[in-house]
Amino acid sequence: MSPETEDRDMSGLRNLRRRGSVILVLVAALCVATIAFLAVEIVRDLRLLSSANSDNVQWTLSQAEVEFLEFQHALDLARENHVPDLEAVRREFDIFYSRMSTLSTGALYAPLRDLPEFGSALNLVKSRLDAMIPLIDGDPAALRAGLETLAEGADASRGDVRRIANSGLLVFAEQSDARRRSIAVTLLRMAFLTTTLVVALVILMRHAQIAGRVAKRRGRELTSALSRMDTILEASLDALVVSDLQGRILDFNSVSERIFGYRREDVIGRTLGDILIPDHLRDAHEAGMRRFALTGERHVVGMGRVELEAQRKNGEVFPVELALEMADTESGQIIIGFLRDISQRVKDEAELVEARDSALAGEKAKAEFLAMMTHEIRTPLNGVLGNLSLLRKTRLDSEQERFVRHMGISGKLLMSHVDAVLDIARFESGMTETQGQAVHLGRLVQDIVDSQLGAAEAHGNIVEWSWTGPPATWVEVDSSRLQQVILNLLGNAIKFTTDGRIAIELEQVGADGAAAVEFRIIDTGIGIAEADLSRVFDDFESLAKPLKSDLGGTGLGLGIAKRFVTAMGGEIGVESTLDEGSVFWFRIPVVPASATDATDSHAPDTAALRGLRILVAEDNEINLHLAQDLLGGMGHKVTAAQNGLQAVDIAQHQRFDLVLMDIRMPVMDGLAATRAIREGGGPNADIPIVAFSANVLPEAKDRFLSGGMSAFLGKPLDPDELVMLLNRLCGPDAAAPATPPVSAPAAKAPPPPRAPADPIAALKDRYLAEAAALFDWLAGAPGDMAAIADRCHQIAGSAAAFGQPDLRTALLHVEAAAEAGDHDRLARAIADARVAWHEAPAPRIA
Amino acid sequence: MYRLKTLCVAVMATLMTLTGHAARAEGLPAPTGEVILTVTGNITQTNAPDAAQFDLEMLQALDASEIVTDTIWTEGEQVFVGVRLNTLLEHVGAQGETLAAVAINDYAVEIPVSDATDDGPIVAYALNGNAMHRREKGPLWVIYPYAASNKFRSEVIYSRSIWQLDRIDVKQ
Repeated sequence: MSPETEDRDMSGLRNLRRRGSVILVLVAALCVATIAFLAVEIVRDLRLLSSANSDNVQWTLSQAEVEFLEFQHALDLARENHVPDLEAVRREFDIFYSRMSTLSTGALYAPLRDLPEFGSALNLVKSRLDAMIPLIDGDPAALRAGLETLAEGADASRGDVRRIANSGLLVFAEQSDARRRSIAVTLLRMAFLTTTLVVALVILMRHAQIAGRVAKRRGRELTSALSRMDTILEASLDALVVSDLQGRILDFNSVSERIFGYRREDVIGRTLGDILIPDHLRDAHEAGMRRFALTGERHVVGMGRVELEAQRKNGEVFPVELALEMADTESGQIIIGFLRDISQRVKDEAELVEARDSALAGEKAKAEFLAMMTHEIRTPLNGVLGNLSLLRKTRLDSEQERFVRHMGISGKLLMSHVDAVLDIARFESGMTETQGQAVHLGRLVQDIVDSQLGAAEAHGNIVEWSWTGPPATWVEVDSSRLQQVILNLLGNAIKFTTDGRIAIELEQVGADGAAAVEFRIIDTGIGIAEADLSRVFDDFESLAKPLKSDLGGTGLGLGIAKRFVTAMGGEIGVESTLDEGSVFWFRIPVVPASATDATDSHAPDTAALRGLRILVAEDNEINLHLAQDLLGGMGHKVTAAQNGLQAVDIAQHQRFDLVLMDIRMPVMDGLAATRAIREGGGPNADIPIVAFSANVLPEAKDRFLSGGMSAFLGKPLDPDELVMLLNRLCGPDAAAPATPPVSAPAAKAPPPPRAPADPIAALKDRYLAEAAALFDWLAGAPGDMAAIADRCHQIAGSAAAFGQPDLRTALLHVEAAAEAGDHDRLARAIADARVAWHEAPAPRIA
Repeated sequence: MYRLKTLCVAVMATLMTLTGHAARAEGLPAPTGEVILTVTGNITQTNAPDAAQFDLEMLQALDASEIVTDTIWTEGEQVFVGVRLNTLLEHVGAQGETLAAVAINDYAVEIPVSDATDDGPIVAYALNGNAMHRREKGPLWVIYPYAASNKFRSEVIYSRSIWQLDRIDVKQ
């Protein structure tokens, strides 16, 4: 039996039982009605019996005979006596006559009279009596003479009188029997019905008993359910507040008492708005209650959990999670509110967010620090490599030359590692942005292949590239990043393949709207185990030792490739079979572009501009000289300003193509000067102004850019960065310059000449003198904190340029302490700086 | 002393004469016609030795009452006129609990005095405006108001409805 049919059967059984009880009630009602009817009948019968219209008929009838005999006797006596008692005859006649007329007229005897023998006998007797009346009522002589006649008449009536008595008796006996039987039947019927009624009542009683038991059991269940409910509500972790539609509190459980600080009896009957809702939400709450009362529109009720604020007895406002539900009760609709104090949770969440934020900030700070440090490593390393190449031009014996060559290789490798780390650090600290440029994809790939031919040949590899499907020629992409990605992938392929073949396939894969190009770098090298595939793009993963005698990598190449591809909005992946080869692929969106000048696009990085008019604002003379030398060496015309105000003055009168603006300067700082130039309406209001600062932290850069500056250059100046920046801001693609700068193909351009040695030496001497003067001055414990900060800052800038980073750092600490006005810290920082000054290497320019 | 005794006898005699005159003044005169009812027993008013005798005229002289009813012995509604039994008993100064009523044919029945109320039985002497002949259950017939109440339609009451009544004995 399926549950469904069982259910149906159960309900059928219930119906049957219900129908049964209805039938029982009907039977009982019918019994009662019938019994009532019978009772009425019996009462009527009893009344008939009690009102006894019979008057003891038997006696009457026999009395008739007696009275007849008395009459006959009186006649006999009168006939025998000489003096007859005529009065006695008359009296007995009258008595008998009276009896007979009673029988013939009395209603009681009507049924008897219908009997033929009774009726005829009565009529006979009556007519004979009537015939006697003239004699009876006549004079005594006639009566005496008629006595014989009377006696004859009486004799004739004797038999009739006897018949009257007998037949009457018989009929009344029968009638009496019939009545008895009828009463007996009625009583029997009544007994039967009473029994039926009793049975029905017993069944009903049993039914009622069962129903009573069921009701009692249900009552018990209900009671226990209610008490269970109470327990649940009381044990609930949620506060439970019940109110009517007017907001009057009807119930308040113990958790509510604990959370809100009120006692139950103190809040019952008061309104929610008065005690539980904080002041700033009360208007909204009351508006909500009114709106609900008017329109039934619900904003919170039945909408699940919402987060709001509530108020404790002590006035403390705390966050709650609240769910409101409606319920219908006998006394109208109520609102049940479940509230949870979530102040701890909110606090925890806030702490978590703070912890996450500070962790993120820490990560970023680390990345920034790394970027800064790597940057600072590059500068001296450039110096080392430059000096090595100078050294190679001097006379060396073969052993020295081998050492120098090895040093050169190691230096370059170190440089490439530093660059890789710098790339990542810059990327992570958000320093770089994707920059779209129009490039010819085929040429770009061809150039990379060309540049790697030497390395490929060294491994006995053939490198080739081709388009699959129709080629895309000019597209807009971040070419430097694309180059880097292809280079990293191709470099890896060459490194891990011997006497094999490396193919670069390009294919347009974009759908109609979004053009994309897929690059596949396919090698026949050692391949990668499947288990390792997922790790190849992780940082610092070097899965295999490079073949031959190549130097190991940093393990950052693929990490950088992945970052760059992702930053360009593309994706990268690898498929590989161990010992058979690998396919590295990446897919980037591109924007179709029109052809630009072949030369420019061919080597955008190395193209250099000449003859720009550049204003350099820098208070540190050494840095100023370096910048002047560098820019002058590139063929630009440089004007110098010692501080921001001077720069503004000069910019008022003379048109420039670009301004290099130090930020921290006396008299007027770089930001103020920039604002003055931008807002002064002079000839240079719209030219690029490049921030030029040792502070390379992103926050600082953001500040510069929002202060109206166009770009940022770190100190010390890096010639390559400078060229790139100038190309970007003043090159043919740049929008800003009003006067187009002279552009010159720079593919074969010589590297920018370095500053001559002599002025540097002079600067070095001057720096040493200035530094010594500073420490002498500091030894005298000067009180002017601003002056201390300024002078330390100046020397710190020089120290950085002269390869004394420790001193620089120490001096920056002095500056910070001076600015903070913290004397203790200042004294310690000065002492530290003095140590750094003594321990610093001899000043030199990279 | 003698004079006092004589005075007392005289006063009592006067009182008795006065009361005796008062009773006699109501009239229990000697019947002039045929005596149709004789009341005996414990009564104070008499016009014969230990008996009060009534002819039809004497009964008609008393306050008459009428009962309109059907009976089990007659056909149809009947109008009986007669003396209310309590009136009659008062008239003879009856002092008793029970009446032994006897008919001409010596039918005898006992009627409790308590039946004799203002809406109780009458001693009827006329039926439908006529005096009742002895052949028509006359001349006197004790009639209860059967139609008035169920309590008058019982065998006991029927048995007390004595016709051809001619004697009443008032018993203690």
